[in-house]
Amino acid sequence: MTAQVRNTAALRAANSAAPAELRAPRLVLEANATFAVAWREVLRAIKSRQMIAINIIFPVLFMGIMGGMIQQNLGKGLPYAYLPFMLVGMVAQTMYQGGMIGVTTLVEERENGFTAELFVAPITRYTVLLGRIIGSSIASMVSLVGVLAMIFVMQIPVNFGDILRVLALAPILAFAGGALGVLFIGFVHDPKVADVGSMLVVMPQMFLAGSLIPNAGSTGILGIATKLMPLTYVIDLARNVFYMGKPEYSAVVQYPLALDIAVTVGMFVAFLVVGTLMFVRADRDR
Amino acid sequence: MEPIITVEHLTKRYKKAAVAAVDDISFEVEPGELFAFLGPNGAGKTTTISILTTTLAKTSGHVRVAGHDLDADATGVRRNIGIIFQNPSVDQHLSAEENIRLHVGLYGTYSYRPIYRLMPADYRQRIERLASVVGLEGQLGTPLKSYSGGMKRKLEIVRSLMHRPRVLFLDEPTAGLDPVSRASLWEYLRQVREEEGTTVFLTTHYLDEAEDSDRVCVIDHGRISRLETPAELKRQLLERVILLDALDRDGLIAELRGLGAEVGLDESSGLLRVPFDGKTPQSLIARIVTPLTVLRVSDPSLEEAYVALLRESDSESEEVAA
Repeated sequence: MTAQVRNTAALRAANSAAPAELRAPRLVLEANATFAVAWREVLRAIKSRQMIAINIIFPVLFMGIMGGMIQQNLGKGLPYAYLPFMLVGMVAQTMYQGGMIGVTTLVEERENGFTAELFVAPITRYTVLLGRIIGSSIASMVSLVGVLAMIFVMQIPVNFGDILRVLALAPILAFAGGALGVLFIGFVHDPKVADVGSMLVVMPQMFLAGSLIPNAGSTGILGIATKLMPLTYVIDLARNVFYMGKPEYSAVVQYPLALDIAVTVGMFVAFLVVGTLMFVRADRDR
Repeated sequence: MEPIITVEHLTKRYKKAAVAAVDDISFEVEPGELFAFLGPNGAGKTTTISILTTTLAKTSGHVRVAGHDLDADATGVRRNIGIIFQNPSVDQHLSAEENIRLHVGLYGTYSYRPIYRLMPADYRQRIERLASVVGLEGQLGTPLKSYSGGMKRKLEIVRSLMHRPRVLFLDEPTAGLDPVSRASLWEYLRQVREEEGTTVFLTTHYLDEAEDSDRVCVIDHGRISRLETPAELKRQLLERVILLDALDRDGLIAELRGLGAEVGLDESSGLLRVPFDGKTPQSLIARIVTPLTVLRVSDPSLEEAYVALLRESDSESEEVAA
């Protein structure tokens, strides 16, 4: 048998095994694609041992060094225990940041051509970006390992039931960051600019939104800036859930739970819609 | 039968560009056709293919692919096409199988499962068999970082066919591949066309790959300059000639002229040159009695015709500019 005859026979056999397209409602097809895109992110996260190490070490260093210094030098002046305050802030920030950075890497993938494979598929752009946000959110859970390990290392006095409530919020926290990432890539198209730009978006929020440094007493320009930071409401939402029913609630939490939820959900929808439109337009309307 | 691709007055002008990258082009592609879309760098090939595959917005014009209007039903267009991009579009961090699994998940060809073993048996059978066809058997689980350029192209071809597209767009699919990889890819594509009747829309700089196409469309400066079969294009642009010589060259020239042949001198070879368009070379050769020292029949290639066409186009542009 010649190679060509053998190949033709194999191809015929392969095609006979090929199914018709999934006969499913559009919504099911979009959900299937969302799962596929999300799982790709998880696979990538699992396969990169260096990134896993960095994602775990980064919050450990941040909490251990910066959080430790603040606790030792300024913590005693606060009307509440600083370390649990910092812990909840870091959980929220880690998830938010992970969601955002995971999405902004799409700019790099657009440059190296991989987004073409995603955007010629018969699914909506929202599906691609939503899958990306979900996948990045799951992948950023890895970073929480480092954050939670610091409970034991720094002997942070927390009730695990309270922490579990915050962890249950983790996907929402990451989705909020992912949506900001979508808005970001809607306007930034150069991978080098995206690398620096994403840090410019993350860093001010890290200090102004109160993840590590208390910001309730901020006034003037800084006071306005803290209120403009999307992360402020995400962190406050996490603290709302953590401190609910505790005596220090009013000293720590800045806004009502409903307001935090409304701002977080509102920003998620607005950022996702505007960012997707801008991203697609930038890609197609050259 | 309705054309599988219809392009009418398609124009694309990039933002801030002085001239249109694609300037009012129209053509049709028939189902099952191997349609070669050729042109020099910057002629508008990739722009056109990007518009037809919905990744780039057009400025004006009308496009239908596989019965779906590009403006009204871009998803319908995407569902019926497969694409192999000019630059490999694979995720290096995943294995070959994971790239393909992502693809079938995006197209809804199979229900997506996070682990290969959980994927439907149909999927596992098909991917194993296709891998054996292109010679990737036993390597589907290997990270793509260890794949050669040829292996990645083979993977992209398998991937692009998993959802059984009606039209396959190949944008310079063999760029950078070694001759053996090129040959095996084309063998596989020939089988696919034979088996599934897939329409192939090809852009390439390797003109020998377009020799077997049903029609050749040449685009230059954003406009279509020719749309013919390869044979017709060659016939229109190049002479088919006999190159010959004899020790008694003067005697041979006189004999050829006596037979009604136009005799010239071929500058590159220094041999006598006799066009035979419209006849067979044998009709002339059989009547020559002068002993020949050299006899060659020159049947021009598509590449020669293409180069002649572009030169003709360039000289026309220079005349217009002058």
